[in-house]
Amino acid sequence: MSQLQARFFTDNKKYVIDDVPFSIPAVSEITDLSNVINKLLEGKNGDHKHVEFDFLVQGQFLRSSLATHLETENISTEEVVEIEYVEKYTAPQPEECIMHDDWISSVEADSEWILTGSYDKTARIWSLEGKAVATVAGHTDVVKGVAWVKRDGLSSLLLTASLDQTVLLWEWSSERNKLRARHCCRGHAGSVDTISVDPTRSKFCSGSWDKMLKIWSAVPTEEEEEEEEESNRPRKKQKTEQLGPTRTPLMTLSGHTEAVSSVLWMDTEELCSASWDHTIRLWDAETGSQKNMLTGSKVFNCISYSPLCHRLATGSTDRHVRLWDPRSKDGSLVLLSLTSHTGWVTAVRWSPSHEQQLISGSLDNLVKLWDTRSCKAPLYDLAAHEDKVLCADWTDCGLILSGGADNKLYTYRYSACLSDAGA
Amino acid sequence: CCGLLAALSLHITFSLSLSLSLSLSLSLSLSLSLSLAFCSQDIRNTVGNIPMEWYKDYPHIGYDLDGKKIFKPIRNKDELDEFLDKMENPDYWRTIHDKMTGTDVCLSDEQVDLVHRLQQGKFGDVNFNEYEPAIDFFSNEVMIHPVTNRPADKRSFIPSLIEKEKVGKLVHAIKMGWIKPRRPKETAPQYYDLWAKEDPNAILGRHKMHIPAPKMRLPGHEESYNPPPEYLLTDEERQVWEQQDPDERKLSFLPQKYLSLRAVPAFSRFIQERFERCLDLYLCPRQRKMRVNVNPEDLIPKLPRPRDLQPFPTLQSLVYHGHSSLIRSISISPSGQWLVSGSDDCTVRFWEVCTTRCLKTMEVGGPVKSVAWNPAPSISLVAVSYGENVILVNPGLGDRLICSATDQLISSYEEPEEVKDQQVQWAVPEGKAQEQGQRLILTHPKAVKQVSWHGRGDYLACVMPDDGSSLQVVIHQVSRRRTQNPFHRNKGAVQCVSFHPSRPYFLVATQRYVRVYNLIKQELTKKLMANCKWISSMAVHPGGDNVICGSYDCRLAWFDLDLSTKPYKVLRHHKKALRGVAYHKHYPLFASGSDDGTVIVCHGMVYNDLLQNPLIVPVKVLKGHIITHDLGVLDVAFHPTQPWVFSSGADGTVRLFT
Repeated sequence: MSQLQARFFTDNKKYVIDDVPFSIPAVSEITDLSNVINKLLEGKNGDHKHVEFDFLVQGQFLRSSLATHLETENISTEEVVEIEYVEKYTAPQPEECIMHDDWISSVEADSEWILTGSYDKTARIWSLEGKAVATVAGHTDVVKGVAWVKRDGLSSLLLTASLDQTVLLWEWSSERNKLRARHCCRGHAGSVDTISVDPTRSKFCSGSWDKMLKIWSAVPTEEEEEEEEESNRPRKKQKTEQLGPTRTPLMTLSGHTEAVSSVLWMDTEELCSASWDHTIRLWDAETGSQKNMLTGSKVFNCISYSPLCHRLATGSTDRHVRLWDPRSKDGSLVLLSLTSHTGWVTAVRWSPSHEQQLISGSLDNLVKLWDTRSCKAPLYDLAAHEDKVLCADWTDCGLILSGGADNKLYTYRYSACLSDAGA
Repeated sequence: CCGLLAALSLHITFSLSLSLSLSLSLSLSLSLSLSLAFCSQDIRNTVGNIPMEWYKDYPHIGYDLDGKKIFKPIRNKDELDEFLDKMENPDYWRTIHDKMTGTDVCLSDEQVDLVHRLQQGKFGDVNFNEYEPAIDFFSNEVMIHPVTNRPADKRSFIPSLIEKEKVGKLVHAIKMGWIKPRRPKETAPQYYDLWAKEDPNAILGRHKMHIPAPKMRLPGHEESYNPPPEYLLTDEERQVWEQQDPDERKLSFLPQKYLSLRAVPAFSRFIQERFERCLDLYLCPRQRKMRVNVNPEDLIPKLPRPRDLQPFPTLQSLVYHGHSSLIRSISISPSGQWLVSGSDDCTVRFWEVCTTRCLKTMEVGGPVKSVAWNPAPSISLVAVSYGENVILVNPGLGDRLICSATDQLISSYEEPEEVKDQQVQWAVPEGKAQEQGQRLILTHPKAVKQVSWHGRGDYLACVMPDDGSSLQVVIHQVSRRRTQNPFHRNKGAVQCVSFHPSRPYFLVATQRYVRVYNLIKQELTKKLMANCKWISSMAVHPGGDNVICGSYDCRLAWFDLDLSTKPYKVLRHHKKALRGVAYHKHYPLFASGSDDGTVIVCHGMVYNDLLQNPLIVPVKVLKGHIITHDLGVLDVAFHPTQPWVFSSGADGTVRLFT
């Protein structure tokens, strides 16, 4: 088998070639095929510039020579092989390395600011260029989770969750760079490891080591009456008053038998939580009842949901990133396992704009960029961290962030997804 | 007379009984019917051949021809005369008594000769030639003139009817089986194989099992009279050969080269060689070894495959770096979120399990021997032993309410009115130590090696190993700050102690035995014999009926308390001394850490059914620790909820295997 028949096609109108089968050598690799396409395109229009392509055979990225790929995938070489080609995703470009004082436990960024939670009991706000803007200090213990609630104009609302069993709701005005703790959310009996704000930005959910999920209101209210009694309070209470009025949960969702490691809103009415008890549970946020349960075999560390492809991605304590279909009724359908990490997967995040791409961070110091069409090997390894990766985020504007135990927050610009999505 | 006798002798028949009384043991009874006339007158008795006893009582002896009585001669000889006669008369031997006449007759020489000849079976007549040449009266040749001229009988040429009838009867009898035509021959062979049916397995059967004598090695090239040059020894080799002992030599001779076979001298070592060969034959073992043909795999008990017994820890996932010296003890918080480790670098560190983050470091005044997290979920206390002190630390991790409740519990203690003199000093630390979380310091008279909490969390047992001392184990009650010495006497040096998880039992492991005491009845319930030299560690199954003991002689003994006081199973998987053993709280797992740097995880399923013995399957050898100063793993502990095992080692790390 030295030659085989292949037909190339693409969705990108820019690079369409004639729909005729070509005879190509079986040992050809991506670069060879890419050269073939480029030659054809040059023949079509003279002012074509060289473009690197990536190739998919039956929805799987070609990573080895064509012959070996067809053999491992069990595809017949007798017939004409349909090969789809897409413009090659360029590697994420490292942009900033933001130094922290301590381990970074959590990160969330929006189009303008980066919010990180750190083990030095503070959360910090950074500009996208890596400039320290503000330090959110108020917790008495390690900050484990951060989230932006709302940014309207110059004032923003943000949340920090901590090992000291509280979640603090802060108001930050970027113009004056002034921070004010609006509410202290008490109720958890364990460290609050994860928080997630609902799509309407009026509620948020927190998951804690005490096995509970609690839903809180994220709308700050002015409560003046308590401040009058400030003088006759003990010192400890005074301190809590500085952090704003105490807020109690709207609803408590109990059902997990172990610590809740990750929580997220799938839509305004549906919550999803992953736990150390090897389950993912879907909750109805209105009634607080459990709707569905997906059972795995290992502790779940993190979870992410993509509204584009309606899939859940989880990272667990066994090196694999698993993709789940939350709508499956039998409750334990793993669609795909992405295996390349050598340590626990501590962070996964779907691409906000591309339905097939996600990033995962692991204790083996690596952040990997995956395409679900290539489950054997990731698209790119982002090997910048010198210690465990603890958190990762992917913003709408194509910025990948990852923080870890080496006190560094790395940002990457990844634009390929944009061009591909636009195509 | 003589002619008569001769004629008479020819006609002697059986009817003649010659009664001769011969003196020379010739006893012949000749009864002569004829009265022998030795004298001139013929006296013939006519009585015939009758027994002469009939005339015994008569004076006569018979009748003569004229019918007159023949009178018995007068006999007056008695026995004595007879004897004298026998002695003196030279003719006595030839004198015979004639019964017919009653007279004694002396035989002449001719008569004696005749008697002799008759006795020898010869003819009486001397002149009779019994071998005279025979004269044929008839010849076998058919003459012209037959002897008889009678014609041949008809029956000589007609088949005989009588014979035919006889043959017919025989044939009929044969047909009917009345007679057998031929006697069947004896079929039994005359000779047979004595050993043909012998059982080869019988005692003597082995004699038949032929073991051929070991064969002599065939001569090779070096034995040749003209060996190839490479077989000839060089001078150096020859020197070496000569310096070697005869037993060490590879060759027992020196290969030599001769021009021709004629030049080969006589073999000087012939007799010696034959003798050695005979010795070989004589001394070679001629016994057939009966090897037991057992498939080795059949001897291995059927155990389930390890991958059917999942989950169990398989991979090293996390390493907790931070300590600078060996970590003697680790303990996990009941929630599974925190880990405490005590090291020889005089620090106690508190770690976050899932991120390996060291959240707290506490310096204490000596190398930490043992740490134990209070198992009660409502109390947040860690017991740390270093030197002679045990400190109770409130780590301040986990639920704030529980932490403050614990602080309150300890500070709410009120001094009793009458202070008893205790062997252990309870003190409340001040200043920095208090800030660090230390709540109580217990100063013991001796160095404390191990601390162990009761499941409820109020009682704390401390071990101060000291052979022969009465104060080796103390039990503290934290809420009342009271110390008890449960044993007035301890047998042997106590190694470790443990509270029973459900019953009021207290397990004390000395070097060789584990004693189970009932704390309520205050008596010894059971004494487990570990069959090992020095117990190092002990763990009680959460079900309470099983105990494992690790020992410094590489063994792990599993006791079933209901079954026996001897180990139900002894595992010898480790190459070096065991330092720590642990049971998992929920999963059927137990682990052992050893100086060889490995942690071996075993599946240990305990069934509720009392009849079913525990199933013990070693499932995984976990490696990771670097052996430092000949010490590997010093302590193992399981995560309370996940199938994860922690191990602390001499390399200053704690490792988590998942």
